[in-house]
Amino acid sequence: MESIQGVLSWLGTTLRLMSYNKAGFIGFLMTSAILLLCLLGPLWIPLDTKTKLDKIYQPPSAEHWMGTDHQGRDIFSQIVHGGKDVIYVAAVAALLSTLIAVTFGTVSAFAGGVTDSLIMGVTDVILTIPQFPLLAVLAAFVKLDNLTLLGLFLGVLSWPALLRAVRSQALSLKERDFVEAARALDLGTGHIVFRELVPNMMTYIVISFTLALTAAVYTQVGLVLLGLVPVSSSNWGVMISLAWTQGAIFFRDAMWRIMMPILAIALFQLSVITMTRSLELAFNPRLRTMA
Amino acid sequence: MVQSTVGRPAGDRHPDKPPLSLQNVHVSYATRRGKVQAVRNVSVDLHAGESLALIGESGSGKSTLGLAIVRLLPETARIEPGVITYRRKDREVDVLKLSRSEMRAFRWSDCAMVFQAALNAFNPVLKVWAQALDTAQAHGWHDKPAIRRRLVELLEFVQLDPKRVIDAYPHELSGGMRQRVLLALALLLNPQVLILDEPTTALDIITQRTIIKLLRQLKQEDHFTMIFISHDLAIAAELADRVATMYAGRIVELGTSDDIFYRPRHPYTLGLIRAVPTVTGGFEQLFSIPGSPPDLVKLPSGCKFHPRCTFATERCQQEEPELELVGAEHSAACWNWREVQAELQRNPLHRGALNVLDGIGSEVEGS
Amino acid sequence: MSTSAPVVETARQRPSVAGWGLWRFVTQNFYVRRLFKALVTVWVVSTIIFFLIRLLPGNPVEQYISRLIETQGMDYENARMQAAALFAIDLDAPLWVQYGEYLGNLLSGNLGVSITSPGTPVTAMIGRFLPWTLFSVGVGLILSFTLGILLGLMMAYRREGVLDHVLTILASIVSSVPNYLLGILLVVWLGVQWKVLPIAQMRGTMSPGVVPAFTFAFVYDALYHAFLPIFTYVLTTMGNWMLSMKGSTVGTLGEDFVTVARARGLNDWRITTAYVGRNAALPLFTQLTIAIGFVVGGSFLIETIFQYQGIGYVLGSAIAQRDYPVMQGVFLVITMSVILANLLADFLYGWLDPRIKVS
Repeated sequence: MESIQGVLSWLGTTLRLMSYNKAGFIGFLMTSAILLLCLLGPLWIPLDTKTKLDKIYQPPSAEHWMGTDHQGRDIFSQIVHGGKDVIYVAAVAALLSTLIAVTFGTVSAFAGGVTDSLIMGVTDVILTIPQFPLLAVLAAFVKLDNLTLLGLFLGVLSWPALLRAVRSQALSLKERDFVEAARALDLGTGHIVFRELVPNMMTYIVISFTLALTAAVYTQVGLVLLGLVPVSSSNWGVMISLAWTQGAIFFRDAMWRIMMPILAIALFQLSVITMTRSLELAFNPRLRTMA
Repeated sequence: MVQSTVGRPAGDRHPDKPPLSLQNVHVSYATRRGKVQAVRNVSVDLHAGESLALIGESGSGKSTLGLAIVRLLPETARIEPGVITYRRKDREVDVLKLSRSEMRAFRWSDCAMVFQAALNAFNPVLKVWAQALDTAQAHGWHDKPAIRRRLVELLEFVQLDPKRVIDAYPHELSGGMRQRVLLALALLLNPQVLILDEPTTALDIITQRTIIKLLRQLKQEDHFTMIFISHDLAIAAELADRVATMYAGRIVELGTSDDIFYRPRHPYTLGLIRAVPTVTGGFEQLFSIPGSPPDLVKLPSGCKFHPRCTFATERCQQEEPELELVGAEHSAACWNWREVQAELQRNPLHRGALNVLDGIGSEVEGS
Repeated sequence: MSTSAPVVETARQRPSVAGWGLWRFVTQNFYVRRLFKALVTVWVVSTIIFFLIRLLPGNPVEQYISRLIETQGMDYENARMQAAALFAIDLDAPLWVQYGEYLGNLLSGNLGVSITSPGTPVTAMIGRFLPWTLFSVGVGLILSFTLGILLGLMMAYRREGVLDHVLTILASIVSSVPNYLLGILLVVWLGVQWKVLPIAQMRGTMSPGVVPAFTFAFVYDALYHAFLPIFTYVLTTMGNWMLSMKGSTVGTLGEDFVTVARARGLNDWRITTAYVGRNAALPLFTQLTIAIGFVVGGSFLIETIFQYQGIGYVLGSAIAQRDYPVMQGVFLVITMSVILANLLADFLYGWLDPRIKVS
């Protein structure tokens, strides 16, 4: 009972803190709506796969909210079903790259010396290699027919910029009084890391995660667009890719077919990026204790 | 030697026409909480060649007043009502009515300001020479060899090696060196008025002494009119001819150095002096003013000092005292200044309270 | 009077040993240090590529050999020889000898021969297509960086004004759309729906009949064809520069040296450019590293979308046709251009910020 209350009050505080930034809160609501629609929507809205020659390229209407495609299929149902895979791959990639960036970034900042130089040296080299061509070239070698594998593959190569940011954040935390005090009191590395650092780094970790998420959506859809990632099922990227390769972009009536997945991706990216403003507030330990 | 390098023929000394006079100056800031009354009703004349020290706790309005004179306050600040009159030779202007470009010309060539935070006073990406050149050119002086000669002279005056400093970037100089460069730069255009805002704060003791020595040399050249802003009474005592104590944005006591430090008539000044630690005296003599400076948005009624004052009476809570003469050139804004006088007779100031004065007093009078 | 003589620290004297002196030269001179780092990066990247190609499970050399055997009925020995010639690798030598030869080939500019257009050395293809990418990406980056800095500065000076709010919203919207999607949107809207731009005509890098020369006609034609890629780069990256510059300028405006500069009577223009602008722009140079890699990396999708025949377009088609030697060579060259661009950015930064050269 008490734990439920605790969770509720934690949620309440979080939401209240997040609502302090209006744009950020709208971003949060939009992100939640998109996530709900993409994860739960497919349970109610069946994927329209039937070719209806009399309904090709219809503009949005009450029946077809987003119009129809070149085979007369409902675009809205494809959008609802096409988000799941994109978000799953992005989440796997973001988790992995955040994990790498946070672990090694913090280690690098706190260990200093040779460890720091080594980690930063490797990071700097990988950072200079343009990521997208590297992924594309590698994708030409390795068959990426599994979503989890694709996510891991994206994640394992996209951490350097995040690591640098995490490290500089950790470096500034290291100089702060409370860490110095914990060290002076000899509270042990475990205490320092989990009691002092992680809560103070939480904002940064969460924001890193959201940025990694958008970056992973970017590379993933790009790879799909180039036809390097096997076209599995309906997916926002695949929708654009098909429309592109079939020349639909040069066809005036085909506009809805190409616009809708683009809008879906752009809206998702925009919502997640805007949401970080609220996350900054919600995970700020100082604001939380004040609330 | 100093006379020949920084000095110039003293000609603009008009004893009856003070170079700078402030009349009824008010400064307020608009904030979300309300109007912050940072400076209220300040009237003071600065005579040619004189140096005036503004003392008081932080938040007493002394730095704001300094910035108001060169109009460098943040945009949210309003300087009104008030008149700041500046006179040089036959020119007489109201500083607050100057246009943007006239104000720009007034700054530094008529009135230079040496800032508290000299550590960051220089653009980190330009060499000292470039910054001096910028300053000269902004005031229409384009003769590079002459500017360089002048800068070399001034750097020598502040005891820096011009060869090393002139082409150095700010980060290559120590804090004390930067402060001295800023002082040299302040003299570049022969300003008549020099405002020094905490010129020695944040410097080590030895560097402080060097700067103070330089400032005393400057003071001896009677054409510089200086305003020292300091919370360090010893420095004020050492450098000032006259001292103004500020509290809650007002001047509460104004008098000669001797008047203020030996015969204070305002309880706040007395408190400040008694709070100065002494070398000879023990800790038991140390006194600190109870309470903290007032909230400038919601000022107390009557005398703004009454909540912290040991002499406060009923009247102090209702009526705010104006400055009144308590000696020949000495005025204080206190209903009970006679009580303060009596208290001083009962418990004289510890002779060591400002023992620096003992060393300097003769020099002050001698100059 | 002379209590304190001028105190200027002289450079610390260290015992001079020849080797030590060289080491110190490398580690203490900012430019040499950066150059050294760039060279190491080039070497590391080349090495990674070599081992990826030779050791990865989907090893392209083996793949190519089996493809030759399947499609052209070659025997293994012949197929192997042809593959070795194409990749400029001696497949019989031990791995480290192959590696040595590979590095030697790289140094002498031999990157192998294209599979899909036999007989064309990869270096020749790079020579033909790279300049267009350097031109379009370079112009795009410089434009967006300059415009971003100027607009960011303006936003900081007029913060909370209309311009500030409008630009902030626009910047966050435009920078959240992936650049290749923006490219598609430009084609769809400007080219197809509104017919503002003759998309088909603007394809390619030059119009037929135009001769590369330093003439107005050529420069105009090059810009005409590069317009859409450049426009896309500028639009998608400018937002970040603007917002960073705004934040950095707001911070700089609060610095003491700006107040002192005003107290010194400097005019507003001088303060805005040399005092505020220059210092506020400095942190942006450190972000340039990531931005250059990102734009160059993204260029290959953008060039594919606009059919702009630069090096990215070549990489795109090489990947589609699994032309491994071209992929390898082009990827190396793209990476090296990023490293070179970073080196330039570093040098520029060192020139703009005297503090960076000491540490």
